Amino acid sequence: MELFSETYSCYYQVLHHLLYRQTPLTIEDIRQEICREGFEESLISIIPKLENGVWNLFEKDGSIYRSKLNSSFSMPLSDLEKSYLKALLSDPRIGLFLEQKQLESLNKMLASSVPLWKQEHFCYYDRFTDGDPYTDKTYRSNFRTLLLAQKQKRYVDIDYTSPRGTRVHHHYVPARLEYSVKNDKFRLLALKQAGHGRMKLETLNLSRMQRVILTDKFLTSPVDLNTMIQNSYYTDPLRLHIINKRNALERAMLHFANFEKNTTKIDESTYECLIYYNRNMETELLIEVMSFGPMLKVMGNDRFLRSLKARLQSQRDIVSCQQK
Amino acid sequence: MSDFQELVKSFSKTREYVRDFFVYGFKTRNEFKAKSPRTYDNERRRLESWLAPFVRKDYVSKGSNLSLAIDSNLLDTNPLFQVWKTKSFTDNDIVLHFLILDLLWNGRSLTVEEITDHLLTQYETLFDIQTVRRKCNAYAREGILEKTRLGKRAIFSLDNRLVLWLKSHENALDALAFYQMAGCLGIVGNLLTDQLDYHNQTFRVKHSFFVHTLEEEILLELLSAMNHKKSVILTIKSSKRELTSTTNCVPLQIFISTRSGRRFLCAYAERSRRFTCFRLDTIKSVISLEASQVYEELLEKLNRNRRYLWGVSFEGPERHHLDRLTMTLLVQEPAEHYIVDRLQHEGRGGTVTKIAENKYQYEIEVFDCNEMLPWVRTFTGRIISLECTAKSVEQRFYQDLQKMYQMYQIDEYNLSD
Repeated sequence: MELFSETYSCYYQVLHHLLYRQTPLTIEDIRQEICREGFEESLISIIPKLENGVWNLFEKDGSIYRSKLNSSFSMPLSDLEKSYLKALLSDPRIGLFLEQKQLESLNKMLASSVPLWKQEHFCYYDRFTDGDPYTDKTYRSNFRTLLLAQKQKRYVDIDYTSPRGTRVHHHYVPARLEYSVKNDKFRLLALKQAGHGRMKLETLNLSRMQRVILTDKFLTSPVDLNTMIQNSYYTDPLRLHIINKRNALERAMLHFANFEKNTTKIDESTYECLIYYNRNMETELLIEVMSFGPMLKVMGNDRFLRSLKARLQSQRDIVSCQQK
Repeated sequence: MSDFQELVKSFSKTREYVRDFFVYGFKTRNEFKAKSPRTYDNERRRLESWLAPFVRKDYVSKGSNLSLAIDSNLLDTNPLFQVWKTKSFTDNDIVLHFLILDLLWNGRSLTVEEITDHLLTQYETLFDIQTVRRKCNAYAREGILEKTRLGKRAIFSLDNRLVLWLKSHENALDALAFYQMAGCLGIVGNLLTDQLDYHNQTFRVKHSFFVHTLEEEILLELLSAMNHKKSVILTIKSSKRELTSTTNCVPLQIFISTRSGRRFLCAYAERSRRFTCFRLDTIKSVISLEASQVYEELLEKLNRNRRYLWGVSFEGPERHHLDRLTMTLLVQEPAEHYIVDRLQHEGRGGTVTKIAENKYQYEIEVFDCNEMLPWVRTFTGRIISLECTAKSVEQRFYQDLQKMYQMYQIDEYNLSD
């Protein structure tokens, strides 16, 4: 079972889309498709092969290319893919997506496949133990309603228990369902009207949702989610100095790999790393930075530095109090 | 660089380059000392081509830095999956791929000779029988085609029921869109969504560590050995000393850290006769050997030991069998009860006891308390005391705190409340 195989290559994918179209194509259509789906320099490799007929997959009629294929096929699943699917069927989250009957149909079609892994092959040793209840009926139903609403850009009425224990309900448009590997929880990135035609982004835990009801209202104006997220980042990033001892550099680079960051070397053993973040990420980032101890030095921004110093001051005060 | 090729034959060299660029995106051409400048230029050009939207160039005094700017909060897929889609191929490979699948799509079962004839009559392409046979056999080995025997003749066909079923069930496609981001071997889910022309626009993943997709091939080989309960020979390249060594072991489980994304193989090392964890990104190759006669026994022993593992280390700094760590925390209740919740959810089986008003004690016995320090430090600001039977751990905690007080000029006796 090969993973690094030409059958999965980007060029095959581009060609598949060109051949699948089954409509006459100009060389310009082909170029556009390659630019859209290929790599940056794929044009210079693919175009000559089609023009000189080495990849003899099109009939050339003057400047028009017609696919030689008769059917609109999809590549059948390889053993690797079938085994992957079979392994997913044992995952506790699969029931969020598939009904029991569908699971049975898939299981039947995959009867001769061996699962690529078993759940017990993996141990997430530092995962939090209060993960979401994936088999709970209400949870599943809420999940599916949110999934549908997200695709249809439709408002939902969410009845929610806040972290302080109060029940609130508001209308939101689901923007994305966000899964946290560490918490083993889903959160909803949700858009809410903020007045004057503006939308704001909120994050809600799925496990705190008591009820989710579809409304008849749809989001009509386009919203650029990533711009909203980026605009929520502080303009002044977290500025860290990493002292490269105890393998701290590599550990820090991997640890903060999921943040937008920029690193430069400032002397033989010190590196500066800028990390971009927003208010929602602040406490978690502070905790992660503290976990490195003196191997990281926070140089700024002032806000982050103040929070860190406050924690250290409390720590020193507690110990002083005990000694007194 | 006229001979520049965008695609590559082997993944192993690529794996190291991408990792270096991803992790250490601040090295200039001169700092990549292990490779020749020309190799560096070619690899760099490929990387820029594959990952164009994510490549950032910064100009510094010693040249330009190339790095990958990847913010997982903004992405619906892992951009490094692209690296898996770069395998080179021959002209025959790509033409035969499309023509054979097109020919067999509508349920025909044909011999190699018949396929070769059809390629000529139906598509006006001439191939010799041996080339067509090799391709059909290769696809049968990968499960893309089915090969059956009718007397002495081998017949090839294609089963498209599964792919059509998946295409017609949007909830199955949603599941794949989710798992390609959030699950093990997400690259396979991503290849499937590519194949089924479905792209994730619904899910995001927090705490996702994209770089670890580069280890998926190694992971596949280890899982295969584990499925067959086989011993393996690993080639390991130490990340610190750049030394390469080999080790014989029985692979038992994959340990994953959700905080750092790091993955480890937990195996029984035959030479030292101990459980040992190997970081997946240091494993360069895996060779499967015969099935282990004592696999179940070892697995059971590992399961018994696991309750004493904090992370991946089976031995502490002072070589005691087990060490005990006790941490007392100040928790202002009820406002800070979430700290007690944290101890319970993150404390990996340690006991949490209320010992006085606003005072909680957390206690645990593990093989290596040293591994606990990063977690312990996350409670900075509330730790009344920390005691450990491994005194070096206790000392290191307090020494590190002192260093931090100095670094940030935290004064003593500045009682704020």
